[in-house]
Amino acid sequence: MNSKQKEILMRKRYSAEKRFKFFGIFSISLAILFLCILLFNIFTSGLSAFFKTKLILKINFDEKKLGINMNTPDEAIKASNFNEILQDALLNLDLLAPDLKKIELIDIVSIDATYELKRFYLQNKDQLNKIVEISLTLSDDLDQLYKGNFPRDIPEDRRRFSDFQLKVFDEQNSQNKIITEFNFSFFKNADSREPELAGIGASLIGSLLTILVCLILSFPIGFLAAIYLEEFAPKNKITEIIEINVNNLAAVPSIVFGLLGLGVFLNYFYLPRSTPLVGGLVLALMTLPRIIIPCRAALKAVSPSIREGALALGASKVQAVMHNVVPLALPGTLSGTIIGLSQALGETAPLILIGMVAFINVVPTYPIDPSAVLPVQVYLWSESAERGFVEKTSATIIILIFFLVLMNSSAIYLRNKFEKKWS
Amino acid sequence: MINEKIKISTKNLNVFYASKQALFDININLKENKVTALIGPSGCGKSTFIRCLNRMNDVIDICKVEGSIKIDGDEINKKNLDVNLIREKVGMVFQKPNPFPKSIYDNVAYGPRIHGLAENRESLDNIVENSLKKAALWDEVKDRLNQPGTGLSGGQQQRLCIARTISINPEVILMDEPCSALDPIATAKIEELIDELKETYTIVIVTHSMSQAARVSNDTGFFHLGKILEFNSTEKIFKNPDNKLTQDYITGRFG
Amino acid sequence: MDKPSHIVKSYEEQLKLLEDTIIKMGTKAEDQLLMSIDAFAKKDLELSKKIIAEDEVIDAYENSIEHQVVNLIALRQPMGIDLRETVTALKISSDLERIGDLSKNIAKKTLLINKNLSEPLTNSFNLLGNKVKKQLKSVIDSYLKRSKNVAINVWESDEQIDILTTQCMEDVIKYLKEDEQNLQNGAQLLFIAKNLERIGDHTTNIAEQIFFLVTGEYLEGNRPKNTDSEML
Repeated sequence: MNSKQKEILMRKRYSAEKRFKFFGIFSISLAILFLCILLFNIFTSGLSAFFKTKLILKINFDEKKLGINMNTPDEAIKASNFNEILQDALLNLDLLAPDLKKIELIDIVSIDATYELKRFYLQNKDQLNKIVEISLTLSDDLDQLYKGNFPRDIPEDRRRFSDFQLKVFDEQNSQNKIITEFNFSFFKNADSREPELAGIGASLIGSLLTILVCLILSFPIGFLAAIYLEEFAPKNKITEIIEINVNNLAAVPSIVFGLLGLGVFLNYFYLPRSTPLVGGLVLALMTLPRIIIPCRAALKAVSPSIREGALALGASKVQAVMHNVVPLALPGTLSGTIIGLSQALGETAPLILIGMVAFINVVPTYPIDPSAVLPVQVYLWSESAERGFVEKTSATIIILIFFLVLMNSSAIYLRNKFEKKWS
Repeated sequence: MINEKIKISTKNLNVFYASKQALFDININLKENKVTALIGPSGCGKSTFIRCLNRMNDVIDICKVEGSIKIDGDEINKKNLDVNLIREKVGMVFQKPNPFPKSIYDNVAYGPRIHGLAENRESLDNIVENSLKKAALWDEVKDRLNQPGTGLSGGQQQRLCIARTISINPEVILMDEPCSALDPIATAKIEELIDELKETYTIVIVTHSMSQAARVSNDTGFFHLGKILEFNSTEKIFKNPDNKLTQDYITGRFG
Repeated sequence: MDKPSHIVKSYEEQLKLLEDTIIKMGTKAEDQLLMSIDAFAKKDLELSKKIIAEDEVIDAYENSIEHQVVNLIALRQPMGIDLRETVTALKISSDLERIGDLSKNIAKKTLLINKNLSEPLTNSFNLLGNKVKKQLKSVIDSYLKRSKNVAINVWESDEQIDILTTQCMEDVIKYLKEDEQNLQNGAQLLFIAKNLERIGDHTTNIAEQIFFLVTGEYLEGNRPKNTDSEML
């Protein structure tokens, strides 16, 4: 081959390399671009949910109107009616308002406002008969208006708020009576019909309880099963069949596990519907193969010389495996488990099937309390007509992503920590 | 010739891997408190033989061991025997140093712990210290017993494995090419250690290095295709072997 | 040359034993030489018989050294300085054994001389004997101290021994010419002179070995020689 042909060959090779590199970079860039668009979308629509808009009102804690005095016990205070003093304060915003419009005035604040007043008074009983400036949650429509999600220039009958309400709102805003503060109730409250009151409290606790049940069930069983299959099971046909089945289980669509849960746990065993117990059971079944497979791989990766070294010292097979092989397989197992759990955290379909799609307005405490989970909450809110739920849906997704990143980072951290220790 | 005591003797030892025979009628006597080296080309059965002596071949499912293996006159190739007891008596050091993923202290203490050889922490400390001293490693690690065993150099790791082996007070130490992964200085240290250890233990060493066998052993056996072709004192084997194949092997005329 | 000891102590001990055996053998050979020259000068027949009997000690040393060297090579594969120690030990022991033999021969010849000798004759032999004694002593010293300079000295001094031998042999020929009766003694005297010269040669051989041991190189060129004695 002469030098001219060689040169042509070299040039072809270089251009082939360049093409290959280009396609690689192009694909990655495309993926990153889509990811960025997605995250941008979610963050821009969701961040506002972390802030709630409030109106500062002058409230007169008139004891006559409340029907209480300094010595009234708390239960009596909780039973008394704070509506009147609230309405008084609201009506004071526009004393010239005609009667019809008075109702609209009252609708400016959230229905939770009276309870906010009550909660405030219980903490500050010395304010009796005093006039205090308190911030109260605005109704969801005005909240969305403030956040710029509702247009102002469409005709009144197509708006969620009237011209009058708009006028009052603008007046109060120009007097700096409209403030925003961090929306803690988003985290504390359970679901609600009112968007401004709805929170992820129930679904957050529900998710955590569900994952906890899943972890408690799937990790020990999965780990021990993997150890047995890899180290102790005789190498025969039965073990082979089990291995094939475990591998296949990992690929089964998650909704099938939901059907299993429905048919067996709910309809046969009559376990309580929509609870983290059942949700955890279903997810555990799903996560089991996802723990067994990496755990087996980690065990296989341990050098046989470690086992032999222990056996040669007179250790029994169990001692050799549990004392020496398992610690080395721990990093791989842990990262596999955490990744499996973070997948479980994002599961929606199987949990819908076992009923976790109900409207839960109380934050659960035990795994047998009915609850929701974060991904299902996202689904429910995204179906809702109210504009206020849009930002909440995105905010919940942000929370979900946060937990997923947290879990995956801890997987990486733990793996590095253990690897460094024993390498 | 002093009447030298026989520690291990094999008679008609035949080993099969499924249908393939690996060892044919091995009949040899290994003397107490002496170093016996086993040499021969790759794959000729040396490692298979040595693994019979502590029943490590049991770990391999398809391996079948037939014949008699006697230690101090007691048969060990029997079905009902507790292999862990045999392995307490016959320790093994492997080709690639394999310290456990534990601290240096725990590595040496592992054997005594599982066999219950120490009544309290103090006596365990003593066992660990003595074993490390006998393995000529104590001075190098006495200030860092809590650090992982895997943090030592190759030669130190191998001495750690030797310390671990002698911590349970065996009578025989089997060494399967213990120096093949080590540099010359580390190898020399291990060879000096073997010289010292033979006062207390019976040592059997499989080695690919003929010069190592010549330096280190009292007796040498030459394996070829699963048979023992010659078994004699090391001096005889390396100065004037009886068997022609032995001579060809040690002079490098066939590999 | 100071060097650290081997990691494997038994190897170190084997090399030390070899060196010690050479020194013992050298000392014994020196003894035999001194005694044989003494016995010749004083016509001590008892001493001569003792020398002849004790030659077997030197042979035993040579045997031992040969075994040690073969063992070392077979079982230790010595390198570098250890290799030179081992190989030169073999050659030196061979030369020392010859020196022992030649001393024994001198003693044998001494037994056969039946007359006192004249002054000038004994003087020549004294000069030659002393020189040879000195050479052997120096060379054993140089082995002990591993000194290459002493070895070079000995190597260069071999010429003097040749000159002294020539002188001796000239005197013996004169002695032969003096009287017909001197034939028997004269013959023995010639042998004795030649043996002394050969001892000198072997000493120079040992010096060459020591030079190689210490430096790893060979003494260049032919050793300075005077071959006049061969013309006689």
